[in-house]
Amino acid sequence: MSRAKLQELGIDLPLFPITAVGSFPKPDFLLKARADFAKNRIRLGALEKAERQATEFWIRKQEGLGVDVLVDGEMYRGDMVAYFAEHLDGFEDGGLVRSYGNRYYHKPIITDEVHWVEPITLEWWKYARGLTSKPLKGVVTGPYTIMDWSFVEFYPDRRTACLALAKEIRQEVEALIEEGAKIIQIDEPAISVRPEELPVAIEAMHIVTDGLPAYFITHICYGAFEDIYPGMLDLPVDNFDLETSNSELDMLELFKKRRYTKDISFGVVDVHTHVVEEEQVVEQRLRQVLEVLPKEAIWVDPDCGLKTRTADEAIAKMQSVVTAAKALRAVTSDK
Amino acid sequence: MELSLSNHSSYPRIGDDAEHQLLRRTIAQRDKGEKTDDAVRAAEDRMTELALAEQVEAGLDLVTDGQIRWLDPISHLAAKLSGVRLNGLLRFFDTNFYFRRPVVEGKLERTGPLLLEEFEFAQEKSARSVKAVLTGPYTLARCSVNENGGAGGFDKMLEGYTGALAAEVAALAAAGAKVIQVEEPALLKHPDDFSRFEQSFSALAMSKDSAQLALVFYFGDPAPIYDHLQTLPVDLLGLDFTYSPDLVDRVASNGTARTLVLGLVDGRNTRLEDPAATARQLEKLARSADLNRAYLSPSCGLEFLPRDRARQKLKHLAVIRNTFLGSPS
Repeated sequence: MSRAKLQELGIDLPLFPITAVGSFPKPDFLLKARADFAKNRIRLGALEKAERQATEFWIRKQEGLGVDVLVDGEMYRGDMVAYFAEHLDGFEDGGLVRSYGNRYYHKPIITDEVHWVEPITLEWWKYARGLTSKPLKGVVTGPYTIMDWSFVEFYPDRRTACLALAKEIRQEVEALIEEGAKIIQIDEPAISVRPEELPVAIEAMHIVTDGLPAYFITHICYGAFEDIYPGMLDLPVDNFDLETSNSELDMLELFKKRRYTKDISFGVVDVHTHVVEEEQVVEQRLRQVLEVLPKEAIWVDPDCGLKTRTADEAIAKMQSVVTAAKALRAVTSDK
Repeated sequence: MELSLSNHSSYPRIGDDAEHQLLRRTIAQRDKGEKTDDAVRAAEDRMTELALAEQVEAGLDLVTDGQIRWLDPISHLAAKLSGVRLNGLLRFFDTNFYFRRPVVEGKLERTGPLLLEEFEFAQEKSARSVKAVLTGPYTLARCSVNENGGAGGFDKMLEGYTGALAAEVAALAAAGAKVIQVEEPALLKHPDDFSRFEQSFSALAMSKDSAQLALVFYFGDPAPIYDHLQTLPVDLLGLDFTYSPDLVDRVASNGTARTLVLGLVDGRNTRLEDPAATARQLEKLARSADLNRAYLSPSCGLEFLPRDRARQKLKHLAVIRNTFLGSPS
């Protein structure tokens, strides 16, 4: 349990802290601004103004809903890896590859030694922090995922590339901490995909987090958890933010067999369906995790970033999360 | 000595210039009601022709239709069978590419051709022999959810997929396909399931008639089951050499009773292989394998690469072959 660590950091959170994973959908006005900017119809300043406006929209929305630990919503990012690749030295844009169906993304190529040149997310984190008095997560993409979702040309192998990236991402984390970030999430959705490389991911996470005064979360999703559990518990973080609803809570069976030893941000709504889960469904999922893990260890959030949903769907799903968590908080806090 | 060159299976259906965005654009317009399904088919035809032309230009002896019409390697086949509905997205092995997961909720049956029309179109438009490519029944079953219930549910599902694909193999062979490739990456994740796999594949192989049947593995190390693979009723055995530093030595020491499709060129990374280093791998393999009948190939489908890089990889096959054979490239 890391409640003591949070208190040391001066963060006092209620039972079942409610958070979001990272991204929210971009409002229509921002989508239009991005399209206009891509066609040179507006200047960068106009795009950034729209991004700030959208960030404020989601900060206000999270506060209004009753979220405890906020995110900036990533209004300024396109793809979670490409955004970091665009701001680190050593990458080239690698052209379009398919993600699924008729969706494509620009997959970066590591063509030279990678270097962190200046803060990547810091200005946005500072802007969002200025809009709220609630704790705000710093969210960065982790070195293993940046490596795995890039083409590695410069480095001789995947491990070398991953560890080189880890040293650079640590600088981004240090910059966030220096500015006051106390809760930092390292997104590593790719980590569960090649179980044989889990030791590399652990080594990289040590490089990113060791000795730094922050409460660390790592977000992992859509992979074969059964292949990396319990080994993943060796990742040096305080909290695992896991997609659990989409996989019908099957992680809990693993936790029953081998004790889970960290805090968890438990995904209680599926982000890949338009259907908004009813409060009872979400509450039932929370009750199921309570049968397996101590209440002090449980945070509550959606499975993953909500950017693929409409704004209305994202808000409705967050509302389900908040309502269920608060209902359970009310009946559980005295027990 | 000769060494033939082959594409693996898929080819990027998009590029960075306007011409190569035709299909994406047309599908998006169709989804908004601005274009018809016929317009999408015409765009697929055009992109297929471009993919074929780029493969021929790269000097390949055996080409594919690039799987331009496929949304993914699983649902493109499964969705055409009765008894299947499609569910949400799932990651395709260790890639950052996602497929629609089939849910099998009734008896699996082939109610019509799956790939025949696509193959015939490509064969008509191609200046080189076209290989027909199917995802295998074991991989389809492993990537599906079984809701058809009861004991032995997975085996029934596998049997259903096997029967459907066997009929398709027969249809493709009858249509003149000289090489039919069956892809089974899932076996590498379940090597202990070899007996079950063997039973399924043997049933499929019986329907190939005079076509050459290629069985292809990728996204994993086949070395641990290499000797088992040699016992299967295949004409061509395709291996991904990028996951195992030892596979070249394993093949060189154990030999092969099958003609090999050598996936020595990494279809997952943009970096071009050192021709001399790959030629040395070929020399080692040539000591125990007859490379006169073998194919040099990418390790997997090329749609994991940007189009310009995929094209470079295909051209690089000829560079490597020429280095190996000692001719100027």
